[in-house]
Amino acid sequence: MANWVPLWLHRLSSPPTFYRFAGMLQPWAMTLALLLGAIALYGGLVLAPADYQQGDAYRIIFIHVPSAWMSMFIYAVMGVASFIALVWRIKLAEVVAMESAPIGAAFTFITLVTGSLWGKPMWGTWWTWDARLTSELVLLFLFLGVIGLYRAFEDRRQGARAAAFLAIIGIINVPIVHFSVNWWNTLHQGSTVNVFGKSTMSWDMLWPLLTMTLATKFYYAASLFRRARTDLLSLEGGKDWVRQIAQDEDAR
Amino acid sequence: MNAVQSFLAMGGYAAYVWPAYAVFFIVLIADTIAPRLRRQRLLRELRARFARQSARQPHVGNGSSPTPPAAIDGQ
Amino acid sequence: MSRATLTTACAAMLRRDLTLAWRRRGDIAMPVLYALIVTMLFPFALGPEDTLLQRIAGGVVLVTVLLAMLLALDAMFASDIEDGSLEQLVLAPQPLALMLGMKILAHWVTIALPLIVISPLMAALLHLPASVIPVLLLALLLATPLLSLLGAVLVALTVGTRRSGMLLALMLLPLCVPAVIFAAGAVAAAQQGLPWLAPISWLAAALVLAVVLAPLACAAALRIALDS
Repeated sequence: MANWVPLWLHRLSSPPTFYRFAGMLQPWAMTLALLLGAIALYGGLVLAPADYQQGDAYRIIFIHVPSAWMSMFIYAVMGVASFIALVWRIKLAEVVAMESAPIGAAFTFITLVTGSLWGKPMWGTWWTWDARLTSELVLLFLFLGVIGLYRAFEDRRQGARAAAFLAIIGIINVPIVHFSVNWWNTLHQGSTVNVFGKSTMSWDMLWPLLTMTLATKFYYAASLFRRARTDLLSLEGGKDWVRQIAQDEDAR
Repeated sequence: MNAVQSFLAMGGYAAYVWPAYAVFFIVLIADTIAPRLRRQRLLRELRARFARQSARQPHVGNGSSPTPPAAIDGQ
Repeated sequence: MSRATLTTACAAMLRRDLTLAWRRRGDIAMPVLYALIVTMLFPFALGPEDTLLQRIAGGVVLVTVLLAMLLALDAMFASDIEDGSLEQLVLAPQPLALMLGMKILAHWVTIALPLIVISPLMAALLHLPASVIPVLLLALLLATPLLSLLGAVLVALTVGTRRSGMLLALMLLPLCVPAVIFAAGAVAAAQQGLPWLAPISWLAAALVLAVVLAPLACAAALRIALDS
């Protein structure tokens, strides 16, 4: 009965089909991302009241927290796609894993920068070696390592498989780093920073945060589709469907 | 006017809030534009390669063409 | 395959790698010299105050050993790639993971062991109290094989690429954060008279895991990197 699901997935994973499918969805995802992002920004910057402790500085939360969630979400997607790429050798999974890495690195970078811009007025320092911050920094290095390894190979598919392997090693590494830095902080009695306080956010502050989270999810989908399409074109460079697309785009 | 000014002041935290938002947008816009440029460059290269191939031979090229003939590896 | 031939193969692999390393003794001396020079630079940069140097001694020795090992990591499989013996090893009937484990062991003996031997000297240069040195040695004995094993997996992944020392550092540094934290933590705890068994146990647990998993991962990585 549910036979059509694997069949459909199998069809979808063929490059020309996915190229068309992604091209169809990409504008919608981008539109939704922009729309939801605009609503969230209005709600977060204008409608939401100032926090009674942090004043207006807390408004960084509306981009910082969604970016942090996205950095982890994208790493998870990359890990799953890497696993699929290594086990079943599906070209599309390799493309998804490798094109997720730059987007993930972008969100991780945003998280680190906005976090330190928020930390300066609130804790009086740009950076502290807290477990959460350190894990995020390690995450950035993992993303950069995956990108670097992928680029170091002459053969793109071989590079994708090697980098996918590194991504899977990294997934095991992140919780270990988090745990070890926590332990390290108890040893050095480092400043324990509680970023979110006792988290009972009011609805006025919560809904822009959740809307922005959705917007970043759609943004990721749109960006991934755009990157994957480009990547498929270059991977499948010599094939007929690519030739067709190249000629069609020229005619336009 | 006053409302706009107080909005821009962000309760005295303007120096932290606005750069954070600026970084957010600059990075994401860069992330949007980079693949677009890559795609245009790629399509230009592909068209040039196809033009070279069809100039050399009426059917899909072999020998000196950088990629294998399209028909063989399916898909 | 019988147990005896497997043991013979392991011994042969170990002997071959150690012999090759011994013929190029000069290369073994390089990481040691590097570590000594780096250690020597710290007092010049920070001033010769005993208390400051004592405080940083454990961490400096650990990080220096790590960097020295990183320097030599690139060469782990390099000569075997050049003369094609690594491909032979992949095709050989013996289990690849076991053979690679032997290669990693040989690499650890030639690179890390000399560093561990001179680490008391490095610690003494920085005025680390003599009572802490056994803990430092213990931490190094557990942390350096861990680094060799982790490094071997990454080196295997980069085998098919152009020479890439910086890339190796970028990939290894996030992975070695826990090892550095626990090794330095043990030394710091011993220095403050606190119990240091907990971090040492964590290191030992990590090492046991790595000894089992890393050669397998290394073999898988090598198959990916050589496959084309």
